[in-house]
Order: sequence, then C-alpha cells, then structure tokens
Amino acid sequence: MRTGSRWLKPENIFRLFGLGLFIYLFFGFMILPNVNTLTQIFSTKNAAGEADPFAVIRFFFAGSMGTYVLNSLKLAIGLVITVNVVGISVVLLTEYFDIKGARILRMGYMTTLIYSGVALVTGYLFLYDNNGILTTALHNAYPHVDKNWFSGFNAVMFTMTFATTSNHMLFLRNAIRNIDFNTVEAARNLGARPMKVLLKVVFPTLIPTLFSLTVMTFITGLCAMSAPTLLGFDSINPEIVRLAGSSVADEAFPQARAALLSIILALFTIVLLTGLSAYERRGHYLSVSKTKAKLVKQKIHNPIARAFEHIYAYVLFVIYMTPVVMIIVFSFQTYSAIRMKTLDLGNWTLLNFFGKADYSYLTSRGTYRVREGAVSGLFSNADTLGGIRISFILSAIAAALACVIVVVAVNYIFKNKKKGVILEYALLFPWLLPTILICYSYRTYFNSTDVWYVGNTNLYYMQNVRLLIIIAYTVVKLPFSLRMIKAAYYAIDDELEDAARNLGAGGLATMMKVKLPIILPSVLAVFALNFNALFTEYDMGATFASSYGTTYAMVMQSMTREEGLYGFNVNASGRRAASTVFVMIVSGLVLYLVYGVGARDLGERLALKEKRRQRRQKVLHKLGTKKKTKNLAA
Amino acid sequence: MIRLEDITVKFNEFVALDNINVQVKEGEFFTFLGPSGCGKTTTLRVIAGFIQPASGKVYVRGEDITPVPIEERNIGIVFQSYALFPTMTVRDNIAFGLKIKKMKAADIAEKVADIANRVDLSQEQLGKAVSQLSGGQQQRVAIARALVTEPAIICMDEPLSNLDAKLRVQLRNELKRMQQNFGITTIYVTHDQEEALTLSDRIAVFNKGVIEQVGTPNEVYNHSSTEFVCNFIGDINQLEPALVAKINEAKPLLHTNQTHYIRLERVAVNQEGNEGALTIKGLIKSREYYGMYIKYTVQTPAQTIRAIVRNDGVSIYELGQQVQVSIKAEDVMSYPQKEAGQ
Repeated sequence: MRTGSRWLKPENIFRLFGLGLFIYLFFGFMILPNVNTLTQIFSTKNAAGEADPFAVIRFFFAGSMGTYVLNSLKLAIGLVITVNVVGISVVLLTEYFDIKGARILRMGYMTTLIYSGVALVTGYLFLYDNNGILTTALHNAYPHVDKNWFSGFNAVMFTMTFATTSNHMLFLRNAIRNIDFNTVEAARNLGARPMKVLLKVVFPTLIPTLFSLTVMTFITGLCAMSAPTLLGFDSINPEIVRLAGSSVADEAFPQARAALLSIILALFTIVLLTGLSAYERRGHYLSVSKTKAKLVKQKIHNPIARAFEHIYAYVLFVIYMTPVVMIIVFSFQTYSAIRMKTLDLGNWTLLNFFGKADYSYLTSRGTYRVREGAVSGLFSNADTLGGIRISFILSAIAAALACVIVVVAVNYIFKNKKKGVILEYALLFPWLLPTILICYSYRTYFNSTDVWYVGNTNLYYMQNVRLLIIIAYTVVKLPFSLRMIKAAYYAIDDELEDAARNLGAGGLATMMKVKLPIILPSVLAVFALNFNALFTEYDMGATFASSYGTTYAMVMQSMTREEGLYGFNVNASGRRAASTVFVMIVSGLVLYLVYGVGARDLGERLALKEKRRQRRQKVLHKLGTKKKTKNLAA
Repeated sequence: MIRLEDITVKFNEFVALDNINVQVKEGEFFTFLGPSGCGKTTTLRVIAGFIQPASGKVYVRGEDITPVPIEERNIGIVFQSYALFPTMTVRDNIAFGLKIKKMKAADIAEKVADIANRVDLSQEQLGKAVSQLSGGQQQRVAIARALVTEPAIICMDEPLSNLDAKLRVQLRNELKRMQQNFGITTIYVTHDQEEALTLSDRIAVFNKGVIEQVGTPNEVYNHSSTEFVCNFIGDINQLEPALVAKINEAKPLLHTNQTHYIRLERVAVNQEGNEGALTIKGLIKSREYYGMYIKYTVQTPAQTIRAIVRNDGVSIYELGQQVQVSIKAEDVMSYPQKEAGQ
C-alpha cells in the first residue's frame, strides 16, 4: 500500500511521463528512421526479383557512385586549405595586425554572417554566372573570356571558400582576442621578432580552435548541398536528393543507393567528430595569467610587407563586398536594367520588393502581348510570399521547440549528473548524422501508413510533410541548442538556487523566477540563431522536396530558372536580389537583437532607460521653454 | 536557541562532520572558525537545511527542525557570493522572499523600505540592478534580503571574503553594529581569525570535521585548549627543549614531556631584559616593519625565536644588533606531546 501511494506522487508521475516521452522521441525519431535507411541498403533485389543484399555495394564499386564520394572528398580537402588560408588571413588582418580601415574591412569580411547558403550562392550567380553582371561586363570588355567560367568545381570552391569563413570570423576572432598580450610582450622582450612571435607564441594558442574549424569545414565541404546543386557539381548530397526522387523504373535501386551514400556520409561525420572530441578531451592551452592584458595590434614596419598587407586585405574586401553591394544596388533596379546588365542610375524602383506590374512582349508573330502581373515584387509574388510564410512558421516553431526541449533537459542534466549523461548524449546524437541522412530517413520511413507510433499516418503525405519538416528542423537543432544553453546554465551560481530555496521558493518557482530569467538571454539568442539558420535553410527542404513544404530557400533557388520565359517570371533576377537583401535584413536584425540588445544585462538596460528618460525630459523642457517664450512674445 | 546534537555528515566514505555538539545562545554572534575543508560551512548548511545529517539532530528553541524542509526553517542566509539574483533590481531581490510568501504588495513595499532604511540603502539604490552596486552595497542588499522575512536566525557564510582588505575591516564593524541593532542570533562562518576574534561573542574552532574548542575570543586566543587551536589562531613560537630547560631554571613550571608554545607578543625584546622572566641574549636576524609594530626574528643560543614589539619610534633594532629576549613561564601554553602517528 505504501509503495503504491509513493509511486502516485505527482513528481513521480511527471518523471515517468518524461521518461516515456524521451524514449518515444529518441527511438521514434532518431533511431528507427535511420536504422530503416541502413536496412534499405541490404534489401535490394536483383532482376529476377530475388533478394540480393549486396547488390548496391557491388554497384558502388562497379559504377560511378564512387565519383560522388571522391568529388565530395576533393571539395572538402580543397576547402580545408582555401577556407583556412582566407579565414586566418581575414582574422589576422583585422584583429592581430595594425591595418588602415580595419573596422570597415571587418564589416566587409563579416557580411557572410548575414547571408549564406542559397541566398549567397544565388547572389554569386547573379554576378558571375554566364548571364551574370560581372561576367557580361568582363565578356564585353574581353570577348575571349569564357562566359561559363563560373560553374563546376572551381565555382563551388570559390563560393564556399568565402561563404565558410564566417566561422573563422566568429570563433578564431574570439580566440585571438583572448590572447594575453603579456605573452606577446614577453616574447618580444626575450628577443623574438614579430613573425616569430606570431608563429611560436600566438599560433600555438590558436591550434585547438583551428583544429575544430578545420573539422567543421571538412564536414561542410563533404555535406555541401546548395552550392553544388546551383553551380553544377556532382557531389554526394545533390545525388542523394536526386536518387531519393527517382524511381526503380528509371534506374537501378535508387533508394538503396541514396541510403548507401547517406550512410557513407554519416560514417565520415562520425569518424571526424569522434576525432575532434578525442582531441578536445586531451585538453588545450590554458592561459595561466591572472591579469590578462588586452591584445595590442602589431604594426608591420617593413614598407613593402606593409603595402602587400594592405593590398591583400583590400582585394579580399572587394571580393567579399562586390556581391553584397551589387545585389543591394540591383535589387532597386528595373527588370530591363537588370536584363541589360547595366546600372541605370536615373531609374530606381521598389518593384522588386513591393507591388506588381504588367509586362508586354513581342511574340513570334510580331504582335505585342501583355502578361498581367508578370513583374512582381518579393512581397507581392504568391510563390515567394508562400515560401517566406512556410519558412517563417516552420522555422519559428522548430526553433522554439528545440529551445523548450533543451531547457527542460538541461535542468534535468544539471540536477541528475549521472542519469543526465544519457539524456545529454541522446540530444547530441543528431550531430553524428548528416542532416541529409535524417531528412532522407524521415522521407522514406514516414512515407507509409505502417508506422504505428505515429497513428499509422503517412507523415510525408500532403500537409503532413510540414510536421515532418518541423520535427526534422527541431532534431537537427538540438545539439547546437544543447551546447549553447548548457554553457549558459554554468553561469547560474549554485548559491542562487540555494538562496531562492532558503527564501521559500519551491523547485518550479526557483526555475521560473530565478534560473530562467538568468538564462533567458541565451535561450532567446539560441532561438534567434536557430531561426536564422532555418529560415534560409535549403538542404533539408530540398531533401523533402514536397510542394507542401516549399521553403523560402527553395523558392529562391527556383528563381534562378526560366526567367522571362513566355513573359512569365520576368523580374526573377530582381526579386532574387531583393530576396537576398531581405535575408540580409532579417539576419542582420536577428544578430543585432542577439548580440546587441540581448547581451545587455539588467544594469545596462536600466542605465539605458534612465538615459532615455533624461533625454525625453530635456526635450520636454526645451519644448516647454519655447512655448513659454512664444506665449510671452505673444 | 540552537542546539546541534551528535551531528555526523558523510559524503560517501568521507566523514565531513563527526559527532558535532554545540549550543548557540539567543542573540549571540557565534562564529565557526577553521581552515578550508574543516566542516564549518557544512555545519552551517546542516542548520539551514541544505544538508541532511547522517545522524544527529538540530534543535531551534527546543524544537527538532532536522526533518523540516529548507523553505520552512525560517533561517536567513547571507551567502559567500551574496547570491543576489542578477536579473532583478535591488528592490525585487529584497522583496523576493515576501513575494514567495504571497504578502500584499503594500506590505511588501513597506517592509522593503523599512529594511532598506535600516541597512542604509537609499530609495535610489533600490531601483538599481545589483550589478550597479559596489561590493559593500551588495553585501547590505544580501543582509536586507535575509532579514526582511524576519528569520529567527541569520547565517553568514564568509560574507566578507570577496571584498578588499580595507572594505573588509570597514564592513566588519558595520556588520557587528547591525547585528546588535537587530539583536538577531547570528552564525558566522570564516577562516579569518582576526574577523572571528573582533566580531564574535563566542567562537567554535573546527578541525577535520570536529570542534576543537568553543569559547570567547579571549578564551580561544589566550587559553587555547588544544595544540591545533593554539597553532591556528595567531602567530606562535614552539619552544625547543633547550629553551624550556632554561625557562625551568628560572622558574620550574614547564613539564618536559609536553609541547610548549608562546605567542609572539608575549616575548619581550629590549636592551635591559625583564624582571621575573627568563632573559637570554640574542642577535637580530631579521626585521619586518608593520608600522604599528615590528616583528623581529632573534637568534638565541637555545633557538631562533620571533617576537612582536610595539613601535614606539625609539627602540628600533638593527640587523645583527644584540638584544635581550625575555619569556615568562606563565605565558607559555603547554599541551601533551603527540604520540607517533598522531
């Protein structure tokens, strides 16, 4: 009797419910769909309809499938070199060396933080593809220039090199700023020259960060999706998506091949991340300094080296900034100016953003025909608006869900150190799997009415796919959210919880009134960053490839095709440019809210409030004085 | 008021508190003093209810509160870090406990204003974030927050350890004044002997999970009951057998099978020697100048001995100068010799 009543306690029922939910979600949405993908590889049949479990593996070694893997590896290795060279350069130029205009340069190098993925690739295409503005200008000036120069491996390398340095700007920049300048001074004092200091004192402290960045870059290269798809390069991910949409009638066991490629990708990711975590466990350089000195920028005194340094910095700046400036400028140009690839300074328009216009064109019969509403702005075009709406809703729900799940989980992890480890590893599990594998697995596994634990509902059918996308988005964002929110939890002093309890607060009140307000800025930041990444996400949307889940990035990607054909889609390039500008604004706003407003503590907020109050009073006082003077004059 | 009866606390195999028995009187300023890891904070946390003892009981005004949950004990705490809620203003921090008790807003406002007034916090400061206050002001907020719920006891866990030396001395005096004004029973944890001696009505000296001595500051300092207390509090000379023999020649009071100590200020250093004390010649080996006093290390034929001498501005001895060192047998504190392995 006593045992029974003990088990009926509300907290035990809550705990049991939590455990049940965790098992349901972990096995139902992380393990089973992926295991199903794994089994797909070995469930192939030969022409006679007999089971042939190793057919796809034989196919892999006999056919051209290996090329995709080799191409992805080639891209990954290439990117490790180029991204590190450019990434380290831009960080050193703006943070370590004393260079003229460092602030402007930094802003230029950081532009990839506010637009990436499809937005960036379409932006680059806008300039560099065979019909692009710069390519056309170059071709006009130098007719021998190949108009198709921006395609394939080189184009992907070029685009991804500059797109991927944003991680260097975030993490390597922080690492450099954390260097204790006293160590630099000590080395100089002991007779080391500046370059020697850089190589022997500064670089060794950056190696852990560089190692992590290198692994992340390698994985990014291996799992590249939008750039190879849009620029035409045969790598693993676009092939998985293509095979996922193919049928047995067209080619040999496409699903099994897609599954095999996904698993190969997962194996690479697991090996790399295991290596990274083993390296991280070895421990790193730790500053032993008790009074850290702020880094003072180093001046290069050799005039030739200094000139070279400036030229290099500004060439990189031009490469970073040209697409941004051109896209912003051309987003306000008319479709005819964009089509002629010339800047029409006397004719600016907001039509790429708002409103609609008719388009008249000359038919092959020599008559003019008017296509109503063929020119439409970003916020007036049904397809674009639909994409924005879908992406906005799905991203916001998934970003919030990931945060809620992680906040509850982290609270449990910190309270139950031993059992919490299992939960922590379960939430980090999706990190081992490429997003494409997760989405592909969902697409194939839930595309049936046989999955009992989702009520035998086909989740890949019509609108249901949106739920599937939300689940996939949430699952993919769990590891990042966990790492960030867990780090924020460390900031909660144990004594705060003790103090709250001592003052009479129970567990829930302590959580809601003390702990949550402390971590709230971090939780909101994670929400914003998750939302930002998902809002322009292309890879997962493309893998699901459903007309009910056409995300904004997919709409942007589709804008690169069939421009102006039969008088439709006339200002697609302009709308594409406007879309990129819109993405920049949204991302910029999110980053400002996260790092600008969200980073302020209560003291800073109150000080700002007080400042505003004083300013308001000053203005009111001035107005009052003016009124008085007027009255007196009257 | 508070009675700890046979309290034992274990963390796995480690015995953090071993059979602690102590009584604190109503309105007393009682200090737990000891080195790091000796069990003083653990004892405080047992009283507050954060730690359940493996055995033993905690009584407050005769009532056994051992099974009472933390939030129902009515014991205020000032934490080492102050544990002020960073997302709340000073006013909200102080009002937190009252809001949890679901008091009326008007009553809360009145109580907060009253306690703020008593701990010298201005109305303007009440509207600030805690991060906008100085260390001393933050300490006042922590005290106000702990006192506003009118607890029966207030526990303070090294509340001065985060402050710089000057502020520490200043706030120490204020703390004592506030405690006297409120008349509340206070348990204070510190490893700083000077703090303990200046603030406390009584002190319990902890060592390795047991209480070595409970007494007034004077009892603990001048009549340390164990060798540990004698060594832990103040600076001290251990007397070598050769010097003990010489002292006994003057006045045979010291047992040779005991360990003997003398505090530095009880050793006189001058040119002429003291009457009724053992006086031996020595050479000044080192000198540390502290302003109000000077600490000498004197090499005598029997042993090297340290002494503190009030700085009168006249008798300041140079290194290598010959002086007379005087020791009275009555000032020596003696303890049974430790057996091997102890």
